[in-house]
Amino acid sequence: MDVAYMIEIFPKLIMTLPITLLIIVVSAIFGLLLSIGVTYLRLKKLIIIGPILETYVSFMRSTPILIQLFLVFYGLPVLMNSLGFNAGDFGAITSSIIALIIFNGAYLSEILRPAYLSVERGQHEAADSLGYKPIEKFRKVIFPQLAPIALPGLGNAIIYLVHDTSLVFTLGVVDIMGQAKLMLANTYGENKIEMYLAIAIMYWLVCLSSDRIIKLLEHFTYLKRIKRKSKVKKTKVYKESVSIQ
Amino acid sequence: MLSIKDLRLSFKDNEILKGIDLEVNKGDVVTLIGPSGTGKTTLLRCINYLEKPAKGNIILDDLNIDYEKITKKEILALRRKTAMVFQQYNLFKNKTVIENVMEPQMIVQRKSRKEAYETSVEQLDKVGLIDKLESYPSQLSGGQQQRVSIARALALKPEVVLFDEPTSALDPELVGEVLKVIENVVSTGMTIVLVTHEMSFAQKISTKIVFMDKGNIVEEGSSKSIFEDSTNARTKEFLNHFNTNKLNVTKEEVYA
Repeated sequence: MDVAYMIEIFPKLIMTLPITLLIIVVSAIFGLLLSIGVTYLRLKKLIIIGPILETYVSFMRSTPILIQLFLVFYGLPVLMNSLGFNAGDFGAITSSIIALIIFNGAYLSEILRPAYLSVERGQHEAADSLGYKPIEKFRKVIFPQLAPIALPGLGNAIIYLVHDTSLVFTLGVVDIMGQAKLMLANTYGENKIEMYLAIAIMYWLVCLSSDRIIKLLEHFTYLKRIKRKSKVKKTKVYKESVSIQ
Repeated sequence: MLSIKDLRLSFKDNEILKGIDLEVNKGDVVTLIGPSGTGKTTLLRCINYLEKPAKGNIILDDLNIDYEKITKKEILALRRKTAMVFQQYNLFKNKTVIENVMEPQMIVQRKSRKEAYETSVEQLDKVGLIDKLESYPSQLSGGQQQRVSIARALALKPEVVLFDEPTSALDPELVGEVLKVIENVVSTGMTIVLVTHEMSFAQKISTKIVFMDKGNIVEEGSSKSIFEDSTNARTKEFLNHFNTNKLNVTKEEVYA
């Protein structure tokens, strides 16, 4: 194996990292936002929108992401045209991002929904009976109990998203994988192993850093608990003031 | 002070409450008794709108609400004048004892942290849990959790406290400590509506007993008039059942 060659190609591959990261970050953020909306509406069990959303989630979760990429890339301009918008071509990167957002809107919803449902009925009823407004109930009671359950699943979903971006080269995006393919073509398929090993390591590094971010978030929810414990000191001061009275 | 008129509620085709009228005066301790599946708990839950009645009217203090036309504002107002103690305690699992009692005051009544803390300590002291302030609900026994939930309810200074079978989920040996706390609450003159199967306790503390069967109120009156002097066949049958259960079942019958 030619390690020198791997070191030589690394900078060229890294040049395309921003494209991959852009796709990951934008699809993750908007995919999560979409999934929150989808989950909210699904939980309401609406008469018409409900079944439509169930179909959407079922379809997106059951069809390969590769096919979804093609469907969006080729299908979306046609759909827009038939609706009367002359949108033209969306371009490979935009199409990839749109496809990944639509996919994650469904996929993450299947993480958020069970996390929400895992919070017991009694917790809702307690907050309701005490006179919490729905938004207060969600913020103070439901979300803090839902988050620790949803976070590991969301962390996994991000790793899948990173992997899924390795498919966008099929639309012609020059991301890490696209760059590797191009370089392989230029060298007539020499040093295949070095090339694939190099990008495997890069994907690994991307996943490691996203994993760290999720761990940090988990740690943050844990830290809040620790902080609460430190509030004990404060409350003890109150206690003294009470006993003095 | 609390007055319910012609309350009706159905689950699908099943009529649970068939036109209930109930009067509760200030300082009353009203106990709902009756066989399981009669709608006692459902009636209680209607009072703070955890169940949605199809029809009926409720007057509580200065509120006069028609259940058919209830607004979000009215729901909130109704819930803020009442407080519920659940069979399963339903303490906020992610919060400590003191936070469980403090937070509703800070959120619902916009009290300052210090004010809420002082009220909470006072209430938790009354239920004998002053040394458990920083425990999480999972670290407490059922009886302790139920006492916290009573403190949480009382800290909001509600007009009426609703107890929904507060001892039914407890180990027999923990029932006593909770009943004692409820007795203390009664002695403060708090208005109470209680659902329970603890008949002797009901007899002891209630100013009014309401006997329900199959979605109707069969008979209501003072403790004495129901438990001792009732002439209603259904009431007698129900209460007799309790007596026979306790006294006349022999070992042979149990293992038969």
